[in-house]
Amino acid sequence: MSDGIETTWRPRSAWAGIAPVGRHGRPGGEPGLTLTLREEFGLATLIAVKGRTDALRQVMDARFGWSLPDPGGANLTGERGLVWSGPDQWLALFEERREMAGLGQALEGLAAVTDQSDARAIVRVSGPDARAFLAKGLAIDLHPRAFQPGQVAVTALAHMGAQVWQRDAVPTYDLAVARSSTGSVWSWMSHAAAEFGYDVRNAAP
Amino acid sequence: MTTITLRDTASPSGATPATTTGQGFRTATGGMIDRRRPLDFTFDGRRYSGFQGDTLASALLANGVRLVGRSFKYHRPRGILSAGSEEPNALVELRSGARREPNTRATVAELYEGLEASSQNRWPSLKYDALSVNALAAPVFAAGFYYKTFMWPAALWEKLYEPMIRRAAGLGRAAHAPDPDTYDKVFAFCDVLVIGAGPAGLAAALAAGRSGARVILVDEDHRMGGRLLADQREIAGRSGADWAADALAELESMPEVRILPRTTLFGVYDHGAYGAVERVGDHLAVPPAHAPRQRMWRITARQAILAAGAIERPHVFGGNDRPGVMLAGAVRTYLNRYGVLPGRTIAIFTSGDDGWRTMADVVAAGGQVAAVIDSRASVPAELRRAAEEAGAQVICDGYVTGTKGHLGLEAIEVVDTYGSRQTIACDCLAMANGWNPIVHLDSHLSRRPVWDEAIHAFVPGALPSGMVAVGAAGGAFTLASCLETGGRAGAAAASACGFAGAAPETPKTDPESIAHTPLWRVPVSKGKAFVDFQNDVAASDVELAHREGFRAVELLKRYTTLGMATDQGKTSNLAGLGIMAELTGQPVASVGTTMFRPPFTPVAIGAFAGHHRGKDFRATRHVPSHAWCEEQAAVFVETGLWLRPAYFPKPGESDWLETVNREVNTVRAHVGVCDVTTLGKIDIQGRDALALIERVCANPFGTLPVGKARYAVLLREDGFVLDDGTVARLGESHFVMTASTANAAKVMQHLEFCHQWLWPELDVQMVSVSEQWAQYAVAGPRARDTLCGIVDPGFDLSNEAFPFLACADVTVGGGIPARLFRISFSGELAYELAVPAAYGDAAWRAIMAAGSAYGITAYGSEALSVMRIEKGHAAGAEINGQTTARDIGLGGLLAKKKDYIGRLMKERPALVDPDRPILVGFRPVDRSQRLRAGARFLAIDAAPSLAADEGTMTSVAYSPSLGHWIGLGLIRRGPERHGTRVRAYDPVRDGDIEVEICSPVFVDPKEEKLRV
Repeated sequence: MSDGIETTWRPRSAWAGIAPVGRHGRPGGEPGLTLTLREEFGLATLIAVKGRTDALRQVMDARFGWSLPDPGGANLTGERGLVWSGPDQWLALFEERREMAGLGQALEGLAAVTDQSDARAIVRVSGPDARAFLAKGLAIDLHPRAFQPGQVAVTALAHMGAQVWQRDAVPTYDLAVARSSTGSVWSWMSHAAAEFGYDVRNAAP
Repeated sequence: MTTITLRDTASPSGATPATTTGQGFRTATGGMIDRRRPLDFTFDGRRYSGFQGDTLASALLANGVRLVGRSFKYHRPRGILSAGSEEPNALVELRSGARREPNTRATVAELYEGLEASSQNRWPSLKYDALSVNALAAPVFAAGFYYKTFMWPAALWEKLYEPMIRRAAGLGRAAHAPDPDTYDKVFAFCDVLVIGAGPAGLAAALAAGRSGARVILVDEDHRMGGRLLADQREIAGRSGADWAADALAELESMPEVRILPRTTLFGVYDHGAYGAVERVGDHLAVPPAHAPRQRMWRITARQAILAAGAIERPHVFGGNDRPGVMLAGAVRTYLNRYGVLPGRTIAIFTSGDDGWRTMADVVAAGGQVAAVIDSRASVPAELRRAAEEAGAQVICDGYVTGTKGHLGLEAIEVVDTYGSRQTIACDCLAMANGWNPIVHLDSHLSRRPVWDEAIHAFVPGALPSGMVAVGAAGGAFTLASCLETGGRAGAAAASACGFAGAAPETPKTDPESIAHTPLWRVPVSKGKAFVDFQNDVAASDVELAHREGFRAVELLKRYTTLGMATDQGKTSNLAGLGIMAELTGQPVASVGTTMFRPPFTPVAIGAFAGHHRGKDFRATRHVPSHAWCEEQAAVFVETGLWLRPAYFPKPGESDWLETVNREVNTVRAHVGVCDVTTLGKIDIQGRDALALIERVCANPFGTLPVGKARYAVLLREDGFVLDDGTVARLGESHFVMTASTANAAKVMQHLEFCHQWLWPELDVQMVSVSEQWAQYAVAGPRARDTLCGIVDPGFDLSNEAFPFLACADVTVGGGIPARLFRISFSGELAYELAVPAAYGDAAWRAIMAAGSAYGITAYGSEALSVMRIEKGHAAGAEINGQTTARDIGLGGLLAKKKDYIGRLMKERPALVDPDRPILVGFRPVDRSQRLRAGARFLAIDAAPSLAADEGTMTSVAYSPSLGHWIGLGLIRRGPERHGTRVRAYDPVRDGDIEVEICSPVFVDPKEEKLRV
């Protein structure tokens, strides 16, 4: 039974066959939203070893120049940095996976490091209607008085677990969801985004 | 789909015929309609014309259409009573086909080009309704009629009485096709929520908005302004409508103010949460492309200002439901807002000064007022003088006692203070019996309204903190007090949220008088005097309830169905309470009110569902091999949120069993691969990781070396089995635990609870990695050969180097990090290979390619289940929350020298009772017979009874390895009874067969295939 088999070891995007690139929804005019499908990023969970949070903070700062965010915070420079995700837990983000090599060793005895690069799918939501769009699925207040660049929430998007952090005041948000649920996430997104008109793009590698 | 529309051949308009194009009741000028934009519409198939800005009700009235529906029980002709969402009578079916919506209130349905509406609850036509004979049998249909009438014989209830009543007492027909429209949900947050955009609400929103607070202003109307649009009023020297327009313009200029017209705030919930539904596209024939039809708003507000206004009360007298009898405030609305005079000759029946305002507006518009009947003995002279100057007859201390007319009002019967009766010709009667503050919303949190004797109405009682009622909704009926209470509350709410709010100066308004003496019912009238128009509850029904002892308001409501229709008795409740107060001789305050519950007005189920319908009812999770499985036309099965391949049919295979048999046989003889990514995977690290595992698992782990995996069984605190899985030791203090697909989240939650709450002192770091790793079981005699083509060179997979239960970090595909576990669920030589999920698709295809030389098959959850039953492994059907480890044959695994969760509780007497059903295998004595899961075990000669029950068949499969059906089941003292026979009794499917008890391990009991 060799029919239909290829032996390629290329990674498959979490959005492959799900999110078509291009302009969708309300036609005409500037799109209200741009949805950028993030690929190939590195992502790891850091959980501080009991009683070693301060030491972890010092090492992160000294070795990586990253400061450990307070609860609800995200400290990002470009595509790299740390996002709070629970008590004494953070996500470490990297532009590419290979940058993660050696992280576990560097933090030995300070934090448990667990690769989650494939566990989450990330979509970047940007544009003038980004807040109105996300308000349809996130039960949190994204008004600038309540949520700003550098803030993160562990929440639910249309009843699916999600983590969202704001990158800039455009506004731009990164939305991380479970990889296995991207079909349902996209079904919600394409429905919710239609009235604004939206562009779907692949992130430049 | 098509619908059958019953068409009238005659004019449905009742007393006054209308031409198809003439809007004979439209005033020459005035109103807030756009006369340059005529709109055509149909009602019961007949064409009419209205204007942009009309409601269906105002357009029908403009065309002289007064008869719009038939009543619920008696099929009496009914017309338009009100001009708002409280309307009990004018319910129509709007649109057709899949978009047909029943029970739409014509008074709030905005007119659009091509609108199609049909009347409801009539047959064959509105004008000639066959079931109006019900009215002749009215005594039968009095309150509680079906409790009394249809009691005997009971057998006829379902077959005859209920269908008959449902047909006779209908309220429109639902569409029978799927809803073609979409619905949205939105979460919104604000400092100050203002509910209602009449004068009080606008004043509140302005005061709050000017402070910089975040304000949301909602109103159910498409045009904001409330009664300012309906009444001729003056604010600060301008018309009220102009003032409202200016206020809205100012609000629109405020960046932190969100204005939501066409939005009904239907429910108030705990912690400052409010539900509202926005009708985005209901004013159009079809919602705009890419937009939803309706949008459900869940608003969280720190402060809320209820400015929902008030609802006018009808009078209760004989024939008060005849088309043409309307609320006096509604007459003003149609006249001032829509440019429609609802009658050629209008009479006014009032119990307060407000009715006289209607008289003045009608006269000012050039309409004819036949008479003003005021039930009060003393009426201010200037009011009487104005009426007499307009040529209207004035009757004080008098009543309207009856109405005349065929399908619409032609005359009223009046009695004056001396008891002399007269008949006055008119085609419209305006009723003004005072107003009820809308206390529905502030009652949603179980706060009862309180009686205010000064205004003869219920007003909000103690409100939850952060909520205040203003204007008419708070019992402040004058325009000046609306503006004042609204402005003050808006400023106070903003201040409470930390914004410097200042109450604005209340602008000057024209003088008004709201003196009023309520009249709960006309004492001398004859004929059916309706209290609840929509549920056909008359004053006589309230009297009957009183006579029969149903005097408490909640009993009155249920016995008579007063207030239980789709309008929730908005126009009727108080009259019912007032009559009961009279009958029982107590004040209304003592009678009290029934509860108001959400929603304020009906909300489409679709709006609550939003996007979550059909396949989107809940999320679907796809396995990493999903794309390949779809290419292969796999048949999928839903297991929780996961969509798993169940089996992979090949061309020529006739049914699922043939496919599954092939998959099992191929695995047992050659090799197969199965996607087991759905198992829960928990990464556990830390100095105390092993200690945590020891405490949560019932079997010992202290001896588990690095590079080895072990079966794990977890008990609940109460001693029953929670789940089973494996624990692999990847490093000195690094483990990965698997849990079953169904219990993945529950086990993670259990471990988190144990760590965070029971033993926070443990140095453990845990995180779910279920989504990170694609995990594939490669099973069968050629599994090793297949994997040798996958795992990068340099890893020794020989039995000696990598024996049963070994685990290791490996690389695949030229350096991709992976994990290999030699564990088996099928009983074959088997491995589970975990690769990063992004490489899951590639790894799957590589395994299929590498195994093709050995005849590999993909197998799904069906073959997986067959093989585990052949091996006697307990799964969800056995680990069902009611079984102990001993029950499912795992008693021997339990640790004796350590403590763990469930250790003591599993020793409770009932759980160690030797008579408990224990897991064993079953095979049919006649091997050709099929076994059924769920069958009960009985002794061969026992009569079926609960007492004779010995246990249950939990799992069955056709075993291709043995060539017959096999089963697993729990039976009393099972292990002692191998070789004996019992009956598998299955009355649901007419099964009753003899089965033989045997070992649950049907295939390879010595595990010779496993360890090679």
